[in-house]
Amino acid sequence: MSIKSYDVVIIGAGITGTMTAFQIAKYSLKVAVLEAGIDVASGSTRANSAIVHAGYDAKEGTLKALLNVKGCEMMENITSQLGVHYKKNGSLVIGFNARDLEELKKLKERGETNGVKGLCILNRSELQKMEPNVSKDAKYALYAPSAGIVCPYDLAYAVAENSKTNGTDYYFEFKVDKIDYDGDYYTICAGEQRVKAKYVVNAAGCYADEIAKMINDDLPFEIIPRRGEYMLLDKSEGKVAKHTIFVTPNEKGKGILVSPTVDGNIIVGPNANIVDSKADTSVTEDGLDEIAKGARIIMPGINLGAVITTFAGVRPTPTSGDFYIKESEKCKNFVHAAGIESPGLASAPAVSEYIVEILKNAGLSLRKKRKYIETRTPKGNCKIFYEMTEEERKEAIKNDPRYAKMICRCEMVTEGDIVDAINRPIRAKTIDMVKRRTRAGMGRCQGAHCRTKVAEIIARELNIDISEVKKFSSNSNLLLGKTK
Amino acid sequence: MKKKLVIIGSGPSGLVSAMTAVKSGISASDILVLERENELGGTLNQCIHTGFMKNLTGTELASNLIKAVKKLGIECRTESCVLSLTPEKILTVISPKQGYQKIQAEAVILAMGCREQSRGVLSIGGTRPAGVLSAGAAQKYINIDGYMPGKKTVVIGSTDIAFIIARRLAIEGGRVITVVEPKGAPLSDKKNIKEYLHPFNIPFELNHNVTKIYGKERIEAVDICQLDKKGKPIKKTKRKLECDSLVYSCGYTPDVDIAVGAGARIKRDTKGPYTKRNYETTISGVFVTGNAHYIHKNIDKILKESVAVAEAVAKFLQKPNQQKKEKKNEDNAHINSENQE
Repeated sequence: MSIKSYDVVIIGAGITGTMTAFQIAKYSLKVAVLEAGIDVASGSTRANSAIVHAGYDAKEGTLKALLNVKGCEMMENITSQLGVHYKKNGSLVIGFNARDLEELKKLKERGETNGVKGLCILNRSELQKMEPNVSKDAKYALYAPSAGIVCPYDLAYAVAENSKTNGTDYYFEFKVDKIDYDGDYYTICAGEQRVKAKYVVNAAGCYADEIAKMINDDLPFEIIPRRGEYMLLDKSEGKVAKHTIFVTPNEKGKGILVSPTVDGNIIVGPNANIVDSKADTSVTEDGLDEIAKGARIIMPGINLGAVITTFAGVRPTPTSGDFYIKESEKCKNFVHAAGIESPGLASAPAVSEYIVEILKNAGLSLRKKRKYIETRTPKGNCKIFYEMTEEERKEAIKNDPRYAKMICRCEMVTEGDIVDAINRPIRAKTIDMVKRRTRAGMGRCQGAHCRTKVAEIIARELNIDISEVKKFSSNSNLLLGKTK
Repeated sequence: MKKKLVIIGSGPSGLVSAMTAVKSGISASDILVLERENELGGTLNQCIHTGFMKNLTGTELASNLIKAVKKLGIECRTESCVLSLTPEKILTVISPKQGYQKIQAEAVILAMGCREQSRGVLSIGGTRPAGVLSAGAAQKYINIDGYMPGKKTVVIGSTDIAFIIARRLAIEGGRVITVVEPKGAPLSDKKNIKEYLHPFNIPFELNHNVTKIYGKERIEAVDICQLDKKGKPIKKTKRKLECDSLVYSCGYTPDVDIAVGAGARIKRDTKGPYTKRNYETTISGVFVTGNAHYIHKNIDKILKESVAVAEAVAKFLQKPNQQKKEKKNEDNAHINSENQE
């Protein structure tokens, strides 16, 4: 059996990996992305605060500070190129007392050193005007107009689809377990499967340390899995906050935030607890209590009775405190992008450019593709029915009556959207994959009404029996056989 | 298109409103019923148990109502979803057959029923595997699609439907390990415990709740705890039960998206629209009935209300209102240019 050979292989299809694939797809190179999960954005990228941080948090002079500010600036262009919903809603760090004010001043100074534009400190009445529901005890706030919100997996899908459209290969359920190097080519194995590559990017998130060990390299720090739990509130509460609101950070980190999401919900969280397993995305009662308490400090009147779902994500926190993006000292042409925790989403555009620069310096020849496609598919960027204008809706329905068949009423998802998601460059094959691409089942009834319909459409499009349809992975069947 | 009365939803409240409207003097040809699903009848279609209007099953009641409405010659469109309603009562409707349409109504009855509350309100700890589903979804899988959502099930909740689904699972050969209710009394009638649970030896535990879900892909087990008077779990009572499914029934909320979109005011307690005595919402000419109004105790109350609502709508439409007519003419000009067909 001949092994497929690539110029560059990226391990990990999180935001760092897919964004890197997106940047490299502009050049005439053979590229593959290997992902252990069933889908793009299966790890830390899937469950986080969905915030594009402005860049005042990271310590001056760190790689994190540099790439955060730059990534945040790049976000607008990338999201508009790929039709990704992104909103520059601005962030507020609120302070309750004189000590907090001192901290806010320090943050402002740090932000300015990092290159964040437009930072200013607001007094009570200015804050009140911007966020009428914020705690009356909040006296000050640091306002960062450049901060924004974006759906992390939507962004990852967009860049992944664009790279696939431009010829990048994607391998899913490809759990790398061995890497051999013959001095020229790396052979990357997952059980019986293998691919070869001249250059490798390690963007394996929480597992980047384990990938490093496979080439007998040791990262100069440890990756600690830290879990953050969240609550998502119904869209009926979507207007209680316009900005992303933090409390003044302390030694435990940025703390719990209250923020709108681009889709019109309110997100509350996260806490930050070290967990034993990198895959432990369970939520805990204590954790939910903790974030409820945190949210009430910011907004005492917040309606936590409107929680529609709770979730958690695990972040790869490096003990060094900074991003580590470097060519391996042991093996040439092998680049680690490790310890990319928050603000990894905001930084991703700049992180990926930085990685490409390292590859170039290592000798990778970058020749622009002649037929580069700017959009997500050769036909353009996809738009879901919900986001279409009236004219676009009429047109979509005229071309395909399935866009007139409502499936998920909570989020206004039509059959046309679902069929499109199943047939896009990176196919949605499970209920959750359809859900993250179309929002079907993400509304207030959380799929109670539409899940069976989505399952029917998946079964039909993939030509399988409905009992074969999975929620997300190979053993997550939705149904257990027929009735009597 | 123009219609005197548009009814959104073809569940019991929508169909009874339609029938009553004709009886109250509105011509059948002036009425249009819009249904989002493929079939008329709403949730009744998945209720194969008895207890509707004395001793009919839900499906029997649905079929009786559908027959009656059709006999009156009222137009009912299935697969027709209302995207929006304006205060001027212009509806935007999509359907695979009719495409993208605008309909100008003189009066609208909101009869969209309700939606189940999600698992989120329970805020249970643990993982988010397959096999955790609402009672309504479980009922649809079994009764409409013919598939078992689980064979070893824990049920949370004590609504009618929680008990009905527990029995249904047992009848289909599944095992219901237990039914728990966090509160101190069942939401459903006590006699239903006897009727639905006892014959199948299904345990029912008040002041108990599921506190944790286990299982990475498919659900494998849950923790169950007794709750103290404040509703906090008593840790030492915790026990772990193996299961392959968890069915929850956390109650319902009125389906108000269309009403909210039109600008109707919503009540905090019922979570349905504010209404005047004649069931008119805060938008003139827009009425609401059934579970879209507030969650009713039983079907009889829904049917009764729907009769009253249709009568009130007939009265509203009979009132000559010059201002209303002028406004309508303006809107029509707008509609005609907008309509695709």
